[in-house]
Amino acid sequence: MKQSRWICLVFGLTVFYISLLSVDAVRWMALAQMSSLAHISDEENCDKLDGLVKRQRRLCRRNVELMDSVRVGALMAIEECQAQFQKRRWNCSTENNKKLFGNVILKQGTREAAFVHSISAAGVAHAVTRACSSGQLTKCGCDRTVRGRSQEGFEWSGCSDNIAYGNAFSQVFVDARESGKKKRLKPRSIMNRHNNAAGRRAIRDNMRLDCKCHGVSGSCELRTCWRAIPIFSDVGAILKEKFDGATEVKHVPSRHELVPLNSQFKPHTDQDLVYMEASPDFCEADRKTGSLGTHGRLCNKNSKAIDGCDLMCCGRGFVTRQVKVVERCKCKFHWCCSVRCKTCERIVDEHRCL
Amino acid sequence: MAGVVLETLSNRKLLILSVSLVLILAVFFLIGGLVAPAPNSVIPSTTVKCVDADNIWQKGEMKPFLPRGKGKCDSIDHFSDPRVAREGIDANEIVFSQWMPLPKDGKQLDMSRWFQNMVSVIELDLTYNSQNKYPEDRDAHMVLETRVFYRNKEDDVKDWKLLAASTEHRTLQCSIENDNRQDGKRYQCDLLPFFELGTVFYDFYLINIRLPIDKRTDINIIGQLDDLAVVVIFQNGGFTKVWFSIKTVLFPAVVAVLLWFWQRVLTEGRATNLTERTLFSLGIILSIMNCPIEWLTLVVSMPFMTLLNDIRDGAFYAMLFSFWLIFVGEHMMDQVERNQLKAYWKQLTVVILASAACFIFDMCERGVQLTNPFFSIWSSEVGAIAALGFIIVAGISACLYFVFLCYLVFRVFRNISSKRTSLMQMSSVRRKYYSGLIYRFKFLMLVTLLCAALTVISFIIGQVSEGQWKWGDEDLSLEYTSAFLTGTYGMWNVYVISLLCLYAPSHKKYAADTVDETDTNSREEEVQLTQMASESSNIASFISKQAAD
Repeated sequence: MKQSRWICLVFGLTVFYISLLSVDAVRWMALAQMSSLAHISDEENCDKLDGLVKRQRRLCRRNVELMDSVRVGALMAIEECQAQFQKRRWNCSTENNKKLFGNVILKQGTREAAFVHSISAAGVAHAVTRACSSGQLTKCGCDRTVRGRSQEGFEWSGCSDNIAYGNAFSQVFVDARESGKKKRLKPRSIMNRHNNAAGRRAIRDNMRLDCKCHGVSGSCELRTCWRAIPIFSDVGAILKEKFDGATEVKHVPSRHELVPLNSQFKPHTDQDLVYMEASPDFCEADRKTGSLGTHGRLCNKNSKAIDGCDLMCCGRGFVTRQVKVVERCKCKFHWCCSVRCKTCERIVDEHRCL
Repeated sequence: MAGVVLETLSNRKLLILSVSLVLILAVFFLIGGLVAPAPNSVIPSTTVKCVDADNIWQKGEMKPFLPRGKGKCDSIDHFSDPRVAREGIDANEIVFSQWMPLPKDGKQLDMSRWFQNMVSVIELDLTYNSQNKYPEDRDAHMVLETRVFYRNKEDDVKDWKLLAASTEHRTLQCSIENDNRQDGKRYQCDLLPFFELGTVFYDFYLINIRLPIDKRTDINIIGQLDDLAVVVIFQNGGFTKVWFSIKTVLFPAVVAVLLWFWQRVLTEGRATNLTERTLFSLGIILSIMNCPIEWLTLVVSMPFMTLLNDIRDGAFYAMLFSFWLIFVGEHMMDQVERNQLKAYWKQLTVVILASAACFIFDMCERGVQLTNPFFSIWSSEVGAIAALGFIIVAGISACLYFVFLCYLVFRVFRNISSKRTSLMQMSSVRRKYYSGLIYRFKFLMLVTLLCAALTVISFIIGQVSEGQWKWGDEDLSLEYTSAFLTGTYGMWNVYVISLLCLYAPSHKKYAADTVDETDTNSREEEVQLTQMASESSNIASFISKQAAD
């Protein structure tokens, strides 16, 4: 199902498509479609990268070593989005390669757009944090808690955890799209910034706390705790929950802020996702909304939920075919790498929407 | 028996002394809370997966695998890398590597000798894989082949020297919730103890770990491993500096007071009594604990320092517990002549048993770590049972001790109440003697309880604040854990200093006509006593008779 991988193979080296007209907020995620072999290692590459705005190019030149993490972050975000929305009509497909997620994200401030923004910001923060903690990046900073220059500060009170840096970089890079002088105050920019921040909060607020006792004789007289970054699929699940409970908002021009459309609703918090336009039903392909439609999608015959054939196919019905599935089975595993399996074949029913 | 300074001190002087001691105490807490950083720092890091394609490690060659920099190993980003399948890379060829500390702000940081000690744990990222599950029906047996190298800044970049190497056995415990049983979800795993170093003498440390597999045995069958993280905890340099300063100031102060105390005792020209001797020993042990020999760790490698500190701390607490026991016993006021250690052998045995159990346990853990830093007594089954045994013995002894102590205190209070009623019938010298004893005892009880309560409270605050994570650094925040450490350390020092000062023999002799403020106090007390006496004299005389028997 991992369409992005497939895309990687097919489009591998032909993705340097420069779109001059459609400048949308998550265009930088096109980085995800670069072949993983082509590491972004040279400052000059920054100008060739697809989908970056001027400010992002400048950031790229200044932080070239981080760009690979941005790419990994974008890829993670797309994969996680597709995993979370696998069973919905809108399945986070990036088949429309040039525009990534299609018009949904491009123009309209829908729930789906909110989710894509939040998970992309989270993806970058996550990937940068992880790269920092593996020591592969030299630029990661000990943040402001440290007194003095890095070595003296480190000697006095150590280094803060890497999530602070990961989040800060994600904010600078991902929000760069929304931070132009005129753009800042646009309703859509406010919404995007809010959702980006909510994505980063989903990581920050769900850090796992680990502690170790190391006092006299290993007693808990001294206990030191640190925060470990959550696995990205957990972040995706949290954001999916936020997606389900997202708040529809309207823009208040006088204060440049977003308030709930329905004034009786509780105001949204920093952790919540917000959207401004209702989503289309995604039943039919529509160039205007960017909907791909559900024709030919797999559905579940026995489910009453959105992945069930009734809802998924929008009442158009479905066809059932028998297909042969070749699987790996009876594998001998170790904790990594070499796996010796047999191949098994299975015949299964497959239902697809008309 | 002559009076002590405490009894002859005027109320005003006592007040001034108490206030200044409380102020000093506050300073200790504030130094910890405001000046010192948190006591410990953590470097959590994901290891780099080096590929040992030529099986150098398995051939027994001690070659370091570097995660970055010049001479970086051949590495892969993740195990799903197509290279793994293409080149047939095997689990036996993977070496997890990390170089501590990590680079920051474009520079390679280096460890400092101020860090004093370093503890490390391993965190495993096991991912649920429906075909390759973690064996939940039994504890997974892990074998880690580990090597730690070191290098100094000025050394050649390739000049890594071996610090320790070992093959260690660990038991891994992981679990996963039922709703999370789908591919890609993560197991919750306990941290694995990795190594403990009693000194951070070198600039860089290189950690190499291999998880060997063998088709014939069940070692390292742990499901699907995605990442191996090494977490390093060390004492903050800033905290060490504050700590050393406190010790350096306290050491001469306590020694001076101790010398003054002993000189006071000797000028009395009589044989010393047990309380004085115990108090003196307490002062000596405290001075040993205060002695700032840690300064040497900045020049010489002293890996035994952590162990030594444990022993010094333990000795102080054992001495403190013994002191309370003896002090309470010596204030029993039941006409039994004790004044000798022999009289306390039962209670002291309990203290000695508890501290011996702790000592043996510590020697087994940290003592062995001197030769093998990866050693953990908990990792072997027999060791874990033995360790638990020692802890249980120590725990039971400590409980017994407190039962003994409470019983003794209870008896003293019973005797006090009976003595109070009969005080009026005594001659003035005897009365002075007994009211002096009572006053001394009550004062110590009060101060001790205060100190103990303060220790417990600050400990709890420190623990709670450690568990909660503070986000942001804009607001001025107190370091509760540091405040607890420096505060309690300073407090027990102040406690011993004040005991040495107040319980030193007084120069002032009892005279019938000395009128000072304590006298007016006791007169007030007498009025109360006479009122009570009329009502309960019958019972009181009965009790005192019994006590005398």
